[in-house]
Amino acid sequence: MKFAHIADCHIGGWRDPKLTDASVKAFEKAVDKSISENVNFMIIAGDLFNTALPPVDRLKSAVQKLRHLKDNNIPVYIIPGSHDFSASGKTMIDVLAKAGLVINVAKAEQDENNLKLKFTIDKKTGTKLTGMVGKKGSLEKEYYEALSREELEKEPGYKIFLFHSALTEFKPSSMEKMDSHPLSLLPKKFNYYAGGHPHFVFSREEENFGLIAYPGPLFPNNFKEIEDLERGGFYIAEVEQTDEGYRTSITHHPIQIFNIHKIKIDGDKKTPTEIEAEIKQSIENIEFNNTVVTIRLEGILESGKPSDIDFKEIFDILYNKSAYFVMKNTAGLKTKEFEEINISTASSEDTENKLIKEHLQEIKVSDWGPETEEAKTKQLMHALSFEKQEGETNKSYETRIKQELDRIIEF
Amino acid sequence: MEKGKVISGEYGRIIVRQKSSKDIELGELLIAENDSSKILTQVFDLQYGSQLSDKNLQLVSGLKLEEENDLEMMDPHLRNYTLAFLKPMIDLSPDKTKICKKLPKFFSTVREIKEEDLKFLRSSSNNFFVGNLRSGSKTMDVPISLPGEKVLSHHILIPGTTGRGKSVLMSNLLWDSLDKDYCGILVLDPHDEYHEKLKKKESENLVYYTSKDEPGARSLKINLKSIKPYHFEGVVNFSDPQMQALGIYYKQFGEKWIESILLEKPLQGNVSFREDTIAVVRRRLLHLLGLEFANNQISCKSIFSFQAGESTVSDICSDLRQGNTVITDTSSFSGTVELLIGSLIAHSIFNQYKQMKNNDSKPVISIVLEEAPRVLGKEVLEKGSNVFASIAREGRKFKVGLIAITQLPSLIPREVLANMNTKIILGVEMKPERQAIIESAAQDLSDDDRNIASLDKGEAIISSNFAKFAVPVSIPFFDEFIKKDIKEQDTSKKDFSGMDLS
Repeated sequence: MKFAHIADCHIGGWRDPKLTDASVKAFEKAVDKSISENVNFMIIAGDLFNTALPPVDRLKSAVQKLRHLKDNNIPVYIIPGSHDFSASGKTMIDVLAKAGLVINVAKAEQDENNLKLKFTIDKKTGTKLTGMVGKKGSLEKEYYEALSREELEKEPGYKIFLFHSALTEFKPSSMEKMDSHPLSLLPKKFNYYAGGHPHFVFSREEENFGLIAYPGPLFPNNFKEIEDLERGGFYIAEVEQTDEGYRTSITHHPIQIFNIHKIKIDGDKKTPTEIEAEIKQSIENIEFNNTVVTIRLEGILESGKPSDIDFKEIFDILYNKSAYFVMKNTAGLKTKEFEEINISTASSEDTENKLIKEHLQEIKVSDWGPETEEAKTKQLMHALSFEKQEGETNKSYETRIKQELDRIIEF
Repeated sequence: MEKGKVISGEYGRIIVRQKSSKDIELGELLIAENDSSKILTQVFDLQYGSQLSDKNLQLVSGLKLEEENDLEMMDPHLRNYTLAFLKPMIDLSPDKTKICKKLPKFFSTVREIKEEDLKFLRSSSNNFFVGNLRSGSKTMDVPISLPGEKVLSHHILIPGTTGRGKSVLMSNLLWDSLDKDYCGILVLDPHDEYHEKLKKKESENLVYYTSKDEPGARSLKINLKSIKPYHFEGVVNFSDPQMQALGIYYKQFGEKWIESILLEKPLQGNVSFREDTIAVVRRRLLHLLGLEFANNQISCKSIFSFQAGESTVSDICSDLRQGNTVITDTSSFSGTVELLIGSLIAHSIFNQYKQMKNNDSKPVISIVLEEAPRVLGKEVLEKGSNVFASIAREGRKFKVGLIAITQLPSLIPREVLANMNTKIILGVEMKPERQAIIESAAQDLSDDDRNIASLDKGEAIISSNFAKFAVPVSIPFFDEFIKKDIKEQDTSKKDFSGMDLS
């Protein structure tokens, strides 16, 4: 038996149309590779889309590929992730599930205040799949705490658990500020734990659990990830049944959409003109066909300010050399006068998280403790970032947002 | 209620004749007052007194014993009595409460203490509750709290013999400070006794690491890259050449130094060690870190890992900086591994606080050390200092403190004991142990030797730089203490939105 495990496609994630196309292309490549590898089914461990209701043009391409999988008799098992989840249930995942293009395995039965997960059985292979949604601010933690575990753990056969959360014990040091759950919240004794959410490639056989795997995003989702990861990828898992039980081996398949060229310059004690010259020198005699170029500048300038650097000229040179896309980050480049200002050079999400943490408990809301407040703030920010959809009236947009907010605040 | 009259004595030893119908107990708090002054005193000794000579007393008792007659002494209540010896503690003048530097007047009334006499004990914000005031064996409804931030950063020593209430006291302290954001507390719990109690508070500020099977708890995994050679100081007894070998490997291989020793990677440059030095270091590291080496591959069988736990130490430090209580169940580890974990976290948080330009707004960090002489003992420190001793010496400047629990305070050097500015003294039977406490106490406890020896289960004396006098307290039972904070069961139906519940 073979299956593909992808996560964090974030279709519609980049603002720039060129890079938004890239996340769709990455999804298309993953689907094509999975079909050519004859997988029995595909798993998407959350965040197929960047929002609960993605833009129609991006959706169209994704749906085409899902249809392609269906035509090839490859079922797609999915869970909503922290980006494409909606508390009111109005998500594109739901629509796709109703259309039979994907199967949402985050199915459960509520027994008083306990959550009993239900298995979805893959008809061809008999694999049993279930999973848990991912929510903004890691609020799915409450769901895990309410989980009835015994029956899940006793269930025989090859079992896969889909989840969309970072695990405290395994997150890398670069993600130490990311909300996470302890491993012990996951139900035990599954054969494969298909993870999503933290954007890193990781797999580990864990005693009493099984093979825990994060394939990383299909395409890097921000400037820093382009620098760090350069490309996305996904896993194809192969399962063998032996006398000792099931043996799962996984292979990571990188997806290269573009070449990446990184320019990183230490601007300490340099003038804007010197930095400009250094960048120009570094790109001399290089062609940038199908290449995304990143320029990161750091340090304290000897004189002048970052805006004195003529980026337009540099960008023009790079585009003339056939670069596909050029992006810069000067957040770490400071002028002498402002060197005391502490600017984060991490992603905007990290900056948001830092600011939220700094201002926790300044205003008392209901009986929210700091953790609840942090999670709810993130959920609210996420809900308020929903855009009005094409064809949606102002009234229905307002109602949709209000419903979402009501569910989050629980007034 | 009058209990006696001041009749004689000297400063520090005021003699009071006890009223015949009243009882005075050792350790009891009494007020000596007259029209112009009011002094809080404490009983430190009791004696018989009589108007009759010893010979007459012996004669009377002989007659009673041998002749079986109904002989009664004339005015027995007037002629025989009890003398109580009091030490003055606080001058409760109406204008200002201050340390007492005078004697009460002759024939001053000595009466029972009342709650209104103790208004000065009600402290302000950041209260760190220790127990209720105790007068002799009677518990009063007067909560005793200390200024939490100061007390925790200036270290606390909790000495006491087994069974005298150290665990109950520590559980109460942790329970009380759990929801207070002025402190973050790290507990290395070798008996795994605190989490079970504290989880009843359902606090978001409680973080628990354990290797036990408990949903929601974090399993303790520490990445080997987090360990540096100096973390072994005071924890593992490496010889000088062995320590030098660790240092050189760390210098040359960086965070992969442990792996490099185990794989016997050659050192660069003109550096070499005797083969047996490296062999011993290698063997000890394998054993200590629970690693196995086979077919030129290292496998991890313990909490230490090459792959997992990269953010564990920084997660714990971050929780502490946010004012959370982090309990690490070390019951399944050896004492050395427990101390190594403690050393890793203590180094990390202490360095972070040291480097902060301004940590006024940060919570004070306190590290609970059970059986403290393991790292603060004279023998250990003679072989070299360690991070806990550094914290004991200079932690208060950076808002990092220790709560050292021990049965044997005499094993801790005097200068370290003197740095522990608050001592919550439980019953201690052994004379040398009492002596070590008395000699390093914030108040003069030289008359309290017997008092300390006679402390019953749950009774304590607080001697602190932040208390006006050595305060006798009674520590409430944990189950009684937490009743007020137990939340009612949430019966509202939970919302599992987003899950397909159809």
